[in-house]
Amino acid sequence: MKNVGLVSGQNSGVGPAFPAIEMTSGMKILRPWQRLCDLNGATLDYVLLLPAFLLLALIVVYPIGRLFYNSFLDLRLSSSVDAAQFVGLQNYADVFHDGEFWMALRNTVLVVVITVPGALVVGLGLALLANQVRRARALLRLSLLLPWALPLSFTGLIFAWFFHSEYGVVNDVLQRLGGIEPRMWLTQAWSASAAIWLTIIWKTSSFMALILLAGLQMIPRSLYEAAEVDGASAWQQFRHITLPMLTPSILVALIFRTITALQTFDIPYTMTHGGPGQATETLAMLIHKTTIDYLDVGYGSTLAVMMFVLSLLLSMVYIRFVGRGGGQ
Amino acid sequence: MMPRFAPRLLLRLAAASVMLNGLFPVIWIALTSLKTETELTRQPITWWPHLLTWENYHRVATEQPLLTFVTNSLVVAILSTALSLVVASFAAYALARLEIRGRRLILGVIVCSSMFPLVTLLVPLFETMRALGLLNTYTALVLPYTVLNLPVCTLVLVSFFESIPRNLENAAMIDGASRLGALWHVVLPLSAPGVFTAGILAFVNAWDEFLLALSLNAAQSMRTLPVGITLYQGEYTFPWPVISAVLMIAIVPVILLVVAFQDRIVAGLTAGGVKG
Repeated sequence: MKNVGLVSGQNSGVGPAFPAIEMTSGMKILRPWQRLCDLNGATLDYVLLLPAFLLLALIVVYPIGRLFYNSFLDLRLSSSVDAAQFVGLQNYADVFHDGEFWMALRNTVLVVVITVPGALVVGLGLALLANQVRRARALLRLSLLLPWALPLSFTGLIFAWFFHSEYGVVNDVLQRLGGIEPRMWLTQAWSASAAIWLTIIWKTSSFMALILLAGLQMIPRSLYEAAEVDGASAWQQFRHITLPMLTPSILVALIFRTITALQTFDIPYTMTHGGPGQATETLAMLIHKTTIDYLDVGYGSTLAVMMFVLSLLLSMVYIRFVGRGGGQ
Repeated sequence: MMPRFAPRLLLRLAAASVMLNGLFPVIWIALTSLKTETELTRQPITWWPHLLTWENYHRVATEQPLLTFVTNSLVVAILSTALSLVVASFAAYALARLEIRGRRLILGVIVCSSMFPLVTLLVPLFETMRALGLLNTYTALVLPYTVLNLPVCTLVLVSFFESIPRNLENAAMIDGASRLGALWHVVLPLSAPGVFTAGILAFVNAWDEFLLALSLNAAQSMRTLPVGITLYQGEYTFPWPVISAVLMIAIVPVILLVVAFQDRIVAGLTAGGVKG
């Protein structure tokens, strides 16, 4: 971040311009804060940007630098001696031989691969349905906003309660409808994963739907009217008008969803705590466990760097993808 | 699309399915919060409470840890929202009126900072806060939340500030106001809807955050509501009706905000669509 350099550099550059302006606003002697209030032009702009950049430097830039530095250390806060030892690439070598890392990576990739397209399909469905309805729009909008506004951790708790083996509503409905025997959803590897995927899709599809609905409402009605005159079927209208017109909204929604899906933590943490065993533990949960529970900051940092690189790669792929789409 | 072809019944079904999907979980929690604990453990489970009771809400209001969690959440969410609004409106005003080059780049840097996975920040933040003795303080959460909300708030505010004609400010400045005075007396009042949207988004984000709160403020007296409820699960036998009541208390303010300001929220989301 070059904020410090920018500010001081521009200060001197713009300097000559501002005393003259200050003069016109009265010849009195100004106290420092009044001086700030009377600043004008680009100097003021940089002063106004300063708090934001200071905070970003403190909470984002410094920690990220620190993270990379720590990933080369053997740094365990649990030992009484806080002596950090430089171990070079040892942590990185350990990561590649760490079965728990590969398992967590697999679980995270599964979450991304299953819940992102899942949420897109469900979200598109919800948006198309909501777009059809003309009445009770407020209630409809609320039903789309509510899952978005519901905290992730609460969603996890509520769905854990749904999937409860004895008192859960899922088992109850299945039994009433099809006489299906009650299951222990959250204590078996595959059904626990499936329950978590389902919960994530429910939680995130409404956000997709909101973005897509906004996109749908931007499509001019005249396009559909023209298509109808030409005798296009409902499917043809969807395929050749709705979908192409929605593509920008879909891309935006997909980018944000993929990047957040990679960081999945709250829902599996509240639903299964990563269990049974390690079956539903995501990368974020492994990082959290290593750092906060085991206080192994060195190795935790290395795992976090892996996550950082992964999301960076993903963002770059997307930026290229969107850049090309936007250029057409 | 083609509303003429869709029969009435299908439309009703469409509306009903969207509503059922969105509202059922909260309705179910509301029902659970009104049941007695003995009714909850009945087999097969009951859907409508046989015996409506407010007892669970009463327990939330009187039982110690739960009340603390609500207070902590409120303090952290309000402080960080206020702080990010102040910092973001300064930055957004500068960006909307910036006379030199690099405007897009600066905005890009601020927005990109929200792309960093929170978990990667967690490790160094935990270490730093621990070294500074800030673990289990409001500061440990307020500062990161402020930064997390900066991109959304800045984006929303920049777009509002840009829509305000410069002539209005110039008029104020001819009348003797400084630029900051013009920001305070002219630009901010005119962008009140934008400030509101940004504020709501920031508040909801801070109210919801779980990972940092769980990691940095784990001491029972400092837990926020999401952390408090989740850890409650492990430390006590899980009283579902009481938990449902807490969840309702935590969700209802959010629902009210959403209902009251849904147009602004949707506008803000689609303008600065950041949260998933």
